[in-house]
Amino acid sequence: MGTILIVAEIQKGVIREASFELAAFAQKLAGSGHEVKSLVVGQGVKGLAEEFAQRGGGEVLVAEAEALANYSADAFTQATLAAVAASGADLVLISNTPSGWDFAPRVAAALDAAFVTDCFDVSDEGGAIGFKRRIFNGKLDAQVKATGTVVATVQPGATPAFEGSTEGKTTDLDAGIGECKTKFVEIKIAESKGVDLTKADVIVSGGRGLGAPEKFTEVVQPLADALGGAMGASRPVVDAGWLPHEYQVGSSGQVVTPKLYIAVGISGAIQHLVGMKGSNFIVAINKDPDAPIFEVADVGVVADLFDIVPALTAAVTAAKG
Amino acid sequence: MKILVCLKQVPHSDARLDIAGDGKWIQEDNIKFEINSYDTYALEEALKLKDAGEAEVVAVSIGPDRVTQALRTALGMGADRAIHVNDPAMEGSDSLGIAKVLAAIVKEESPDLVFAGLMSEDGNFAAVPPMVAQLAGLPSSTAVMSVSLADGTVTVERELEGGALEVVQLPTPCLLAVQSGLNQVRYASLKGIMAAKKKPMDTKTAADLGVGDQVGAGAAKVEIEKVYTPPRGEGAQLIEGSADEVATQLVGKIKELGLL
Repeated sequence: MGTILIVAEIQKGVIREASFELAAFAQKLAGSGHEVKSLVVGQGVKGLAEEFAQRGGGEVLVAEAEALANYSADAFTQATLAAVAASGADLVLISNTPSGWDFAPRVAAALDAAFVTDCFDVSDEGGAIGFKRRIFNGKLDAQVKATGTVVATVQPGATPAFEGSTEGKTTDLDAGIGECKTKFVEIKIAESKGVDLTKADVIVSGGRGLGAPEKFTEVVQPLADALGGAMGASRPVVDAGWLPHEYQVGSSGQVVTPKLYIAVGISGAIQHLVGMKGSNFIVAINKDPDAPIFEVADVGVVADLFDIVPALTAAVTAAKG
Repeated sequence: MKILVCLKQVPHSDARLDIAGDGKWIQEDNIKFEINSYDTYALEEALKLKDAGEAEVVAVSIGPDRVTQALRTALGMGADRAIHVNDPAMEGSDSLGIAKVLAAIVKEESPDLVFAGLMSEDGNFAAVPPMVAQLAGLPSSTAVMSVSLADGTVTVERELEGGALEVVQLPTPCLLAVQSGLNQVRYASLKGIMAAKKKPMDTKTAADLGVGDQVGAGAAKVEIEKVYTPPRGEGAQLIEGSADEVATQLVGKIKELGLL
């Protein structure tokens, strides 16, 4: 029976959906006797804090300072440490977003606390808090036990957002932000170089299973062309320089929802699944029957892609007459 | 300039992942290991800075005897010397325990820059690098996609979601945890591999670094209780048969979607 501190995240002037997902986990734990408090940081965020207090945040500490207007690892770490001290929290929940994974480890190290990351489940195991998370890029799951004060980051989308209302209140927190060595300069939106996969009805994506860059033109592109669709790729393909970044489907690339998504030689690391699991119909072709891609696929083919894809291309071409 | 690069040796990306007898990790006997791919990008970024000017690149890794192979590879690629923390007492350490050992090395070596990979391909924790920075009193940035250095100020681009980048400035010394894909990683040349044999490799224990009582299973606050194959959801409907039979069935599905 302890106190949970949710660190909410503001993005583009609103509280992120992921923060309400943290509230869902926290409110579930509140059912087993844990108290829920939250932290909202930024500048001019009182209104957002009041909203969060009523939508799952409970008692919300509001840390406002010029140094918190934009994200910086140092300032957010200091604000969170001040909130932990003020709230007496023994479980700190932070979303595993680009800012969350940047400062949460610093908070844990400063508190000499247990640190568990990218959890998809947080539950009360009779007093202790249990966590579940993916390892080996989603090929295995792990059940993790943490003792003492715990800082945990939670995978966005792991649970539906909290929909209920809470009797909350807001309290100002003087976070006393000191020296910040990391300085925010600006956010740049990468220019699109012409490959807009988000508008394609059909996407055929290739992964590391293709084995070589020329296989994309020989095997993947012809199927995409036959279906009148676009070609995509997984992160390892882009990292290896086989295709430019704009082909990448995934959380750090393009998030796509075509009518048909065909994954060829893609094992299905979580960052790829996040980018395509909203597709209307998913076909996965992979020789590894345990590949996580089959979890999200509607139809799976466990076979050598170099046998299946050319046959499929020929059959599609024939079907078109 | 001195650059420290933190490397982890992890199971090869093609290695079989069989769950160990105690159910708490994978069976690591008789599988191949390699340098964690994110860390190869970290090493490459350090070597690029060395190529562009004067720098000593020190590769650091923690783990059993097999880790010397990873460090020899790093030396072969161009690192100048290596530090191997080889200590059975570290068995069962959590991220914080590992970070304490690396932070002790950072304090001892006083590098201008510390590079690490964003996360490891095995545990996927992404925890250690910023923890090291916090414990060593350094600023840090993660998911770094580009690095430029001028007059003691490092400017990095961090990867955000949906193709956006965040530009951040940090003073040296600082720690950068790099995202995969920020450069093209070189291979160790034959000449490099030969030269590596003469490069120094120090072996240390946690006790040598003054943190012997803060590592290992006894000090760990996080314990993996069980690893298991993720429960399958409804899963995919599997189509079997010859390539042509599979293709015919798939064309049927695509027609049902109204796409043919």
